[in-house]
Amino acid sequence: MDTTVGSGRVARGKRSWFQRTFVTPQAARITAPVLFLVAWQLIAPLIPSAILPMPAEVAEAMWEQLRDGRLVEAFSVSLLRLAIGFAVALVVGSILGLAMGLSRRIEAMLHDFVVVGLTFPYLIWGLLVAMWFGYGWIGPVLVVFIAGVPYVILNMSEGVHDVSKELRDMAAAYEVPRDRVLRHLVVPSLSPFFFASLRYGLANGWKGLILAEVFASTSGAGWHITSMRDYGDFAGVVGFAIYFALFSIVVERLVFGRLSRRVFRWRPELARGMGDPPELLV
Amino acid sequence: MATQDVEAAAPPARIDTEAEGPTSERPRRQRYLLWRIAGYILFIGAWAFVSSLTEPYILPSPLEVLREMGEVVRRDDFWINVVATLRHLTIGFTIAFVLGTAIGIAMGRSPYWDGFFRDYVMLTLTTPGLVFALICVMIFGLSTLAPIVAIVLTSFPHITVNVVEGVRAIPRDLMDMATAYGVDRRTRIRNIVLPAIAPFLFTAIRYGFAIAWKITALTELFGQTDGVGIQIRVEFLFFDIAGVLAWAFFLVGFALVMERLVLQRLERRFFRWRPKAYG
Repeated sequence: MDTTVGSGRVARGKRSWFQRTFVTPQAARITAPVLFLVAWQLIAPLIPSAILPMPAEVAEAMWEQLRDGRLVEAFSVSLLRLAIGFAVALVVGSILGLAMGLSRRIEAMLHDFVVVGLTFPYLIWGLLVAMWFGYGWIGPVLVVFIAGVPYVILNMSEGVHDVSKELRDMAAAYEVPRDRVLRHLVVPSLSPFFFASLRYGLANGWKGLILAEVFASTSGAGWHITSMRDYGDFAGVVGFAIYFALFSIVVERLVFGRLSRRVFRWRPELARGMGDPPELLV
Repeated sequence: MATQDVEAAAPPARIDTEAEGPTSERPRRQRYLLWRIAGYILFIGAWAFVSSLTEPYILPSPLEVLREMGEVVRRDDFWINVVATLRHLTIGFTIAFVLGTAIGIAMGRSPYWDGFFRDYVMLTLTTPGLVFALICVMIFGLSTLAPIVAIVLTSFPHITVNVVEGVRAIPRDLMDMATAYGVDRRTRIRNIVLPAIAPFLFTAIRYGFAIAWKITALTELFGQTDGVGIQIRVEFLFFDIAGVLAWAFFLVGFALVMERLVLQRLERRFFRWRPKAYG
């Protein structure tokens, strides 16, 4: 965003006070949610209130969820499951990904399964683990692993491919020791891919987890929102959905935004927030 | 999957290339075909082995799932449900594409709209699809609007993000020069804007589609009277693992055929004029 603000058109003539205050990208970020709330408030009464709750009811439900600890409990259970499942995915995925990057044979063997793994809907995994393991922790954690691991594998193997052949040849010609090749050549060129695998692996592990919790558990954020719907607590559902949205904003903006800017200070083109380079999106 | 095309266009240098000089893509592919087949044999063998250890209803053997798939296809309502799902998918995705492209163009061109839509796009991109599916089912009930709105909400940001990138990739200097030489707007759009945006549009369609069919099945499962999702739910309620797997393979097969055979082939044909296709 920062790059486009100044480089666009130069201000034509003088802008009024109104324009200077409200017609700026910063103001737009506030205008958008305010407009959304206003529209909601206006539209909600047109539909029977049992179906689309009013903003005030939702705010009350959100406050309830925060106060009685349901919110914290649901999210902490889910986050713990995410952490366990993704830690395993990171280890297994890195090993398989590096193996695929280093050997064409292993790549030929695994490639199609990784593609199917990327395509396989989490919905199906959620149902399968529910039937296999019943309610509990095994199912959701397993789905986090299954959902996250293909992203780790793909990005790590891409990372190995990305290590410049010329630089490797030169290092070999000058007989650079292996550990220094790793330290100065392989690790720096792998790091954006490692970061991408963290980001996309975690994002998809989270999505898979939420779905798995609906069918294969009686705790966690995914189960919580579905059970409120089953009880007909619609304000609760919408309130919880807003918590989901807030959670993703916090993670995206504070964790990944900051982190990627810090990690890639040396390669600013990779550190842009939203517009990720296509090859990292996978 | 953005990387596959680049790979196909220009095989990257591998670390274990056995110093044989440049080989073309085809013989190389054949050389590793055996390894590929070995992967499949290993997988199916492992599956069959595990299923022989467990009760047949826990993990049906590959053959049983194949048989179940044949049975599912022959059911009377198979095509009714498939057509219903395809209808939801087509309508929803078309709206999402138009909306996503319009918002993407606005965001790419103006910092104001970029600020306006940025948070919407980001949070719809990262919030689990379940949340949208539940809310849409809650608001629209059994009406077909539920899956359609859910598809639009979840797949438009994937389209927008790519279109924004495409708009920013339009070569500004060429545009300036064209304007200076008095090239009219139509020619400018045809010869500068479209070629710059096109690869991003294709990526947008692929990503958007990948999300769209999944959310379709999910929304149908929670609140529809017809569609593939409700069939999967029925199999689940009857504890028919073979049935769930059969539907899963149909879905994955459909998605892969669309992605690999239809979209990628279209893309390659479209970009035949350029030496290296963008992801």
